[in-house]
Amino acid sequence: MLAFIIRRVAQSALVLLIVGLVAFSMFRFVGDPIDNMLGQERTQADIERLRVQLGLDQPFPVQYYKFLEGAVQGNFGVSYRQGRPVAEILLERAPATLELAAVSGLLAIVLGIALGVFTAIRRNGVMANVIMSASLIGVSLPTFLIGILLIYLFSVELGWLPSFGRGETVRVGDWWTTGFLTPSGRAALILPSITLGLYQMTLIMRLVRSEMLEVLRQDYIRFARARGLRDRVVNFRHALKNTMVPVITVIGLQLGAIIAFAIITETVFQWPGVGLLFINAVQFVDIPVMAAYLMLISVMFVGINLIVDLLYFLIDPRLRVDRAGGH
Amino acid sequence: MLHRHTATALTLILTAGLAAGLTLGAATGVRAETFKWAGTTDPQTMDPHAVNSAPVLGFLNNVYEGLVRRGKDMTVEPALATSWEPIGDGEGWRFHLREGVTFHDGSSFDAEDVLFSYQRASDEASDTRSWFAPVSEVRIVDPYTVDIMTSAPNPIFPGSIANWMIMDKGWAEANATPLPDKENGNYATLNANGTGAFQLVAREPGLRTVLEPHDDWWGEVEHNITRAEMTPIQNPATALAALLSGDVDFINPVPIQDVARLAGNGDVNVIQGIEARVIMLGFPHEAPALKYSAETTDANPFADARVRQAVAHAINVPAILQTIMRGNAEEVAQLVSPAMRGYSNAQAERPAYDPDKARALLAEAGYPDGFSFGLKCPNNRYLNDEAVCQAVTGMLAQVGITANLDAMPVQNYWPELRADNYDMYLLGWSPGTFDAEHPIRFLAATPNEEKKLGSWNFGGYSNPRVDELLPQIQSEIDDAKRQAMIDEVTAILQDDVAYVPLYVQPLVWGTRSNIELTQRPDNFFILRWVTVN
Amino acid sequence: MTDHPAPPKDLPKDPSRLRIALQSDFFYSFRRSPVAVVSAVIVLTMVLAALFAPLIAPTNPFDPASLNLMNGFTPPSTPNAFTGDSFVLGTDDQGRDVLSTILYGMRISLFVGLAAVLFAMVLGISLGLLSGYAGGWTDTVIMRAADVQLTFPSILVAMLIFGVAKGVTPVEYRDQMAIWVLIVAIGLSDWVQFARVVRGATLVEKNKDYVAAARLIGRRPGAIMMRHILPNVLSPVLVIATISLALAIIAEATLSFLGVGAPPTQPSLGTLIRIGQGFLFSGEWWILFFPAITLLTLALSVNLLGDWLRDALNPRLR
Repeated sequence: MLAFIIRRVAQSALVLLIVGLVAFSMFRFVGDPIDNMLGQERTQADIERLRVQLGLDQPFPVQYYKFLEGAVQGNFGVSYRQGRPVAEILLERAPATLELAAVSGLLAIVLGIALGVFTAIRRNGVMANVIMSASLIGVSLPTFLIGILLIYLFSVELGWLPSFGRGETVRVGDWWTTGFLTPSGRAALILPSITLGLYQMTLIMRLVRSEMLEVLRQDYIRFARARGLRDRVVNFRHALKNTMVPVITVIGLQLGAIIAFAIITETVFQWPGVGLLFINAVQFVDIPVMAAYLMLISVMFVGINLIVDLLYFLIDPRLRVDRAGGH
Repeated sequence: MLHRHTATALTLILTAGLAAGLTLGAATGVRAETFKWAGTTDPQTMDPHAVNSAPVLGFLNNVYEGLVRRGKDMTVEPALATSWEPIGDGEGWRFHLREGVTFHDGSSFDAEDVLFSYQRASDEASDTRSWFAPVSEVRIVDPYTVDIMTSAPNPIFPGSIANWMIMDKGWAEANATPLPDKENGNYATLNANGTGAFQLVAREPGLRTVLEPHDDWWGEVEHNITRAEMTPIQNPATALAALLSGDVDFINPVPIQDVARLAGNGDVNVIQGIEARVIMLGFPHEAPALKYSAETTDANPFADARVRQAVAHAINVPAILQTIMRGNAEEVAQLVSPAMRGYSNAQAERPAYDPDKARALLAEAGYPDGFSFGLKCPNNRYLNDEAVCQAVTGMLAQVGITANLDAMPVQNYWPELRADNYDMYLLGWSPGTFDAEHPIRFLAATPNEEKKLGSWNFGGYSNPRVDELLPQIQSEIDDAKRQAMIDEVTAILQDDVAYVPLYVQPLVWGTRSNIELTQRPDNFFILRWVTVN
Repeated sequence: MTDHPAPPKDLPKDPSRLRIALQSDFFYSFRRSPVAVVSAVIVLTMVLAALFAPLIAPTNPFDPASLNLMNGFTPPSTPNAFTGDSFVLGTDDQGRDVLSTILYGMRISLFVGLAAVLFAMVLGISLGLLSGYAGGWTDTVIMRAADVQLTFPSILVAMLIFGVAKGVTPVEYRDQMAIWVLIVAIGLSDWVQFARVVRGATLVEKNKDYVAAARLIGRRPGAIMMRHILPNVLSPVLVIATISLALAIIAEATLSFLGVGAPPTQPSLGTLIRIGQGFLFSGEWWILFFPAITLLTLALSVNLLGDWLRDALNPRLR
C-alpha cells in the first residue's frame, strides 16, 4: 500500500511536469500578450523592449524552466494583466469556484444516485421514464444556453434570483470568502450550480441506473431476495454497492470536469472564480495566470485520480490481489 | 418499494424547498443605495500612467484629474489649471494652476506635483510617454505656474494632455511608486490618490471597484451619489440581464440588436451617440502577392487603386447600417468622424454603392473574373465585427471577388496583422486626441520606427505628399491653413483609396430609468454627471 | 470494434451465431418499444435531411454571393419590409434563410459529432483495454497520459489544435480545417472517459473465471480482449457513447461560444445557436429557437435511441 502510494506520487509529479511542458509549448498559439499590455500609441521598439523584459523572446523550454524554478519556491510569477502575484490572485478566486463546484457536485451526486436508483428499480414505471426523458432535455442543450435561459427566466422575467456574481460574501479566516452565510450569497449560488451540475447529474443518474439494472439481475441478488431479505437491504447493501466501481470512476472524473466546465458557467454568470480568471487570462494572454491555473487543475486531477484508485482498493477486494501480486 | 419511492420524492421536495427558501431570501433582500454599473472590461490597473487604454483612463478620470479636462461636448476646459496660454512664438504653453486643491489623502496640490507627474508619465516605464514626445522641458515658474516647453509649435497640445493625470508627489514617494510598473505592479496598481470628485475605497481586480465622493473636491458637485460600485461583466447577454433585472443601474455597451426592444421597456433608458471610432477596411499596399488566394498567387490586385476603388463601391454600407447596426451608426468617408476636430466637410461623400461600377473597375484592372483572397477580422473587438465582415464577404462575392473570411479573437488578431498575414483586414480607429491629425500620424504616414510614424499602418501605405504635410499640420497654429492641409491629405487618401472607411461606430449605453447621466463621445463614463432619482 | 452504437441498419456484420440471435431479439425488442421506433424515425429523417440538404434546402446559405443583407431579420413566414421576400422559418442577421442554415448546419453537426465520438471510442476503448489487461508500465503510461489529457479543458485543447492547425494547413484547406480540428479536439477530450471506464471494468473482468479459462486454453490476449472482455464492458461504454454523441454536438456549440467553433460563414447547429443567443433579448426569437429546437430534438432522439440500444444489446438482460 505504501509503496503504491509512493509510486503514484512520483508518477503524479511527472504528470505535472509534462502538463507544464505541454502548456508552455502551446501558449504562443493563444496569442500575443504584448498588444494588451501596451496602448494604442506603442511603437515597434516598445513591443521589442517589453518582449525582452518578460522573457518572451526566449525559446519556450527556457521560459518553462524559469517558471518551474519559481513554482517550486511557491512563486508563480506576476500576472501580466493585473501586475500582482499570481498566487495571490488564485487564492483570492479559489473559494468562489470551490463553493460553486461543491454545491453543484453535491447536487449531481445526491440527485444522480437517488434518481438513478429510483429509475432502475421502477424501470418500467411512468415516473421513471418521465425522469429519464426529462433529464435528457437538460443535457441536449449547450451549457451556455441553459445558463442564459435560466437567467432570462429567473432573473429577467421573474426577478427571483440575481443575474450575475456571487452576492454578498463574508470573509472566513485569512483568505477564504464564503457566500453561504448571506441570503444574497446563497441566492446567487442557485442558478450557476444548477447550470453546472445538470450534466453531471444526468450522467451519474444514467450510469447508476444502467449498472443497477445489471446487478439486480445477477444471481446473488435473486438469492438474496429469495432468502427473504428486505428490498431496501437488497437494493442498497448489495446492489448499489456493487455498481460503485464504474460509478466512482465517473464521479471522480466528473468532479474534475465540474472544475473545467466551471469556465463556461462562470463566464455566463460572471462568477468571480478561477474559471473566469482563466478565460480572462486567455483573452489577455496572461501566461503566468494560465500556467498557474493549469498547474492547479493538474494537482487537483492527479489528487482525485489517486483517491479514486484508493477507493477501488477498498471497494473491490479482488483488485488488491492483483496489485500486490503484480509488479 | 414504496419507501424508496417516498425517500426519492422527499429528496426532490427537500431540494426544491431549499431552492425556494434561498429564493425568498433573495427576494426580500433590500437594494443598497449604491450606484452600480457594469462595463465589459475591468480597468487593469489604478495607475494612471501605467496603461494607455480606454478602460483604464476612462475609469480613472473619475479619480484623478489633469491640468485640463474634456467637458460634456468634448471641449477642453480648465481642471487643475485654471487657464493657459502659448509662450512666445509657440515655444511652449504656460499653465496657471488652481489653488486650494487637495488630494484624497488631504495633501495639497501645487507645481511640484505637476513636474513629478510629468516625469512619471513620460518615463520609459510609462505607457503614456508618447503624449510627451513634443515636450522638451517642464519648468516650475512659481508654486502655481508651470511652463511646458515644446520642441516645435504645438497648437493642439493642451487638448492632447487631457488624460494626463496628476499624482501627488509626496504620496507616490512615501509609497515607493515613483514610476509605474506594469509588469510587476506596485502600490499605485491597487491604490489611488487623485484630486478627482471620487476617491477609491475598495479595489478587487476583476470583481468590483468601489468609489465614494471626495468631500473636499474643488468643483461644484452635480451628482447625488453616495457610493458607486463598478463590476466587469463580459458576456453581453448577462450584462443586459443584470440591467433588466435591476441588479445594476448602468451598463456599457448595450448590444446593438437589443436597442429597439429596450427603448420600449419603461424600466430602462437607452442613451445613444456617435463614438469617435471609425471602422474601415485596410489593404496590403506593399505585398508582392496575395497570401490567401487559391489562384492569384503571383500578384497583388489590391496594389491597384482601381481594385480598392471597386471594393469601396461594392460595399453597401447603408444596408449594413440598416440591418446589422439597426440604424444606429452613420456612414463615413474619412478616417475620422464628424465630431472630431479637423474633419473635412469638403470630403464628406462616401463612394456610392454601385456593384456594376465595381465590376467594371475590376475588369479594367485586369480581373474580369475576380479573384479570391483572405479577409481577416476580429470577432470580439468592435461592435458586431464578425457579422460586418460576413456581410462584406457577401457583398464582395456579388461583384465577383471571393473573400475567405477568417475571424478570430483580438488577442490573435494583432499578431496576425503585424506578421502581414492578411489580404484585407478590418480596423477600427479612435483618435486619442480627438483630432484628424491622429489617424494621419498612425495610419497614413509611411511607417518610420525612429520618428514613431505609421505604427498602425500595417499595409505600408505611403504617399510622399502626406508625409510632407503631416509635420506642417502638427505645427500650424492658424486653424484655416491647418484645415486646408488636412483637407488635402483627406482628398489624397480618398483618391488613393488607402483605406475604405465604412461607418462610425455607435455608442449605446443603458441605464435604469431613474438614472440621469451624460454620455461623452469618447465613451468615458463620468460619474460626476450622474443623478439618481 | 464493430460493436459501437449505431442505427439499427448498421448492425455488426460479424457473421457469427451470436449475430443471428442478437438480430432477431433486437428487432423484437425494437418493435416493442414505441420510444425507440419514434426516435429512430426522427434520427433517420434528420440524417437523411442533412445528407440531402442541397436538394431540399430552399437556398444555399454557404454561398455568400446569393445573400441579400436587406433580407436580414425577416420573421418566419412574413414578407420582408424592404424586399418583400418571405421565408418559412425567417432569416438571420445576414439575411440567410433559417431553414436552409439548419439543414446545412445539421450536416456539419452530425458529421462532427459522429466522427468525434468514433475517434474517441476507438482510441479510448483500445487504450482502456490495453491498460486494464496488460497492467504494469503500459497501464501506468496510459493512465498518466489520461491524467495529462484530463487536465486540459477541452476548450484549451481545441485552442491548441486550432493554433497548430492554422500554422500547418495550406490556405486552400483552411475552410475544411475547422471541421477536422473540431473532430480531433472533441474526440481527444473525450477518449479518457472511455478508457477509464473500460479499464476499470477490465480490471474486474479479467480476474473472473471465464477469462482465466480462456487464457488457460491458450487464446491470445488480443482475442481474449476482443471476444471476452469487450462485450462485457460494453454497457458502461454505451451509456457514455450515447451521451457523448449528443454531447459532442453540444461541445461544438460551446467551443463556438468561445470563438473556436465552425466558421460563421459555414455554420453548424452550434454556431447557429451561438449567433442566435445574441438575439434572445431583442425579439428575433426564431434565429435562436429553430436551431435550438432542432439540436434538442436531435440530441434527445439520439439519447433515447441509445437508451434503448443499451438495454437491447446488453447480453445480461437477455
